[in-house]
Amino acid sequence: MDTALATEKPTRFALPTPLRALLVGGLIYLFLVGVSALEKGINIMGSDTQERLFESVSNPIAGLCIGILGTVLVQSSSASTAVIVGLVATGNVTVDEAVPMIMGANIGTTVTNTLVSLGHVRQSNEFRRAFAAATVHDFFNVFAVLIFLPIELATGFLSKIATAISDRLVGTAGSEWKSPIKKWVKKPVEWIVDGWDALGLSGNWLGTIVMISGLLIVLFALTFITKNMRELVADRVERSINTVLGRGRGSVAMLLGLLITISVQSSSITTSILIPLSAAGVLSLRNAYPVTLGANVGTTITALLAALATSVPEALTVALVHTSFNIVAILTLYIPPWWRDWPILAAERLANVAVKQRLWAVAYVMGAFIVLPLIGLALLR
Amino acid sequence: MVMSFFKKSSGGLEHVVARSVGMLGDARHSFDLATLALLTDTDWNAVQSDILTTDQRINQTEQELRAELVVHVTVQGSTEIGSVLGLILLIKKIERIGDQAKNVLDLAESGVQLAHEDDTDTMLAERGIISTMFGEAAELMTEPNDDRIEALALRAGALVDSHQAKIEGYLHSERPGREVVPRAIYYRYLKRIVANLLGIVRTVNEPLPTLGYHDNGATDTDD
Repeated sequence: MDTALATEKPTRFALPTPLRALLVGGLIYLFLVGVSALEKGINIMGSDTQERLFESVSNPIAGLCIGILGTVLVQSSSASTAVIVGLVATGNVTVDEAVPMIMGANIGTTVTNTLVSLGHVRQSNEFRRAFAAATVHDFFNVFAVLIFLPIELATGFLSKIATAISDRLVGTAGSEWKSPIKKWVKKPVEWIVDGWDALGLSGNWLGTIVMISGLLIVLFALTFITKNMRELVADRVERSINTVLGRGRGSVAMLLGLLITISVQSSSITTSILIPLSAAGVLSLRNAYPVTLGANVGTTITALLAALATSVPEALTVALVHTSFNIVAILTLYIPPWWRDWPILAAERLANVAVKQRLWAVAYVMGAFIVLPLIGLALLR
Repeated sequence: MVMSFFKKSSGGLEHVVARSVGMLGDARHSFDLATLALLTDTDWNAVQSDILTTDQRINQTEQELRAELVVHVTVQGSTEIGSVLGLILLIKKIERIGDQAKNVLDLAESGVQLAHEDDTDTMLAERGIISTMFGEAAELMTEPNDDRIEALALRAGALVDSHQAKIEGYLHSERPGREVVPRAIYYRYLKRIVANLLGIVRTVNEPLPTLGYHDNGATDTDD
């Protein structure tokens, strides 16, 4: 069909699809180099520096707060969980210490769509719908942490599930996992280290700068993976959301949320797309909610990818904890009908308060995502 | 439904245009039935439920397409905002035609019968011309052609002018009110239907009026 309305697009440079796909492949490789460089940088540091750097995460609540703050800072749970996987790979952070950080990352990632919803603050009805659609994700993740963090601390059940899966995938615990990807990224990481070494850096300084280089590479690669994947799959994303609008409820919406997030490598993109649709009244809160849960699971693929850049089974285990946690949360909090609506009710109630007093919306964002985690970190580290 | 993610199919706006063409087909169906009830011996009761069901389908499609256009802008960004706004305008015009066809049925329902009048044949001929215009507009939506659009716009414009002249003639007529009032109302609806069809083809050609567009109401083609 050749219609003026459907085909007249403003002229702008667009990379051909095969080239864009190749570029994404290159960016994924760069991402793995970044994770490996991060691990290498920490390993270069002296053991006393490593100990000082990571002593605060031994308290689980402090770990949770670090997870929230770190994710809010980089606006991406994909990036923060990839870093956590890298830290576990260095051996400085144990799986048990990493679990609360992963849970914190899950909460921290919800800040992006909550910030997007504030853009509708001038129009009461739009803002009510947008803020509720954003905070339903927050409430689900907070409820999940409130329930599963104490259980995890008491029983370690998530770590056990993840370890069992990890053992099945790479062999029994303790054995060295020969990741093929580790070999592929070894050379570029050596170039990074040699480059900084040639400038006369050594010891802790060299370790710190290699670690920061790795972090920047991870952030750069993830930003452009997301940007390019969004271009590559935009039509599919559009079609999927139309399916959710039309007939998609429950599991269908959840699976589409999962697929969209895996495709664009960012749950923030998926959940942020929902906000203008909810604000405009074309997507109901009940249909948006399961999409966000699918996005929770979909975003865990990045940490699994990051684990490929390490040869440490524990790194894979912690990535699997992220996936297991989100799946268990859905099985427990969404599948049984009797408390499925709790996050919806809480989000609607908060949205009503926020519409009456807009300052409460700002106070909520600042308090939940910055002030409370900072206080928790200051008191418990 | 989930597998729709993996399927390759036409993009968002093409899909909206395709469904808009279907909507226009529904509007034509309503127009044909309603005018049939007014201008022939067809009992309005026999077509009423069909027209109402078709109108509901048109309204439902309008809502769905507007939602799809919001999704399109949200996902794809604002690069095609001109086309999106044009399509919102276009589907609104089709929805209005559906309503105006229903208004023609309302005339028949209220007891107006123009089946055996001196001007019945003229009105039936005009009905045929307008019905054909629906088909032409649908073709131009799927395959735009500047020359055909211009030709249709000229014919539609002339028809609108002739309807306006007739309405004014009825307003100043010495004939009894029971004769001229239904005709004036009927032609008023026809004028709006043709004006909306004209608006549709103009929107296909140019989704939004260009910068500096001022005609002081000379092209009042909205519903």
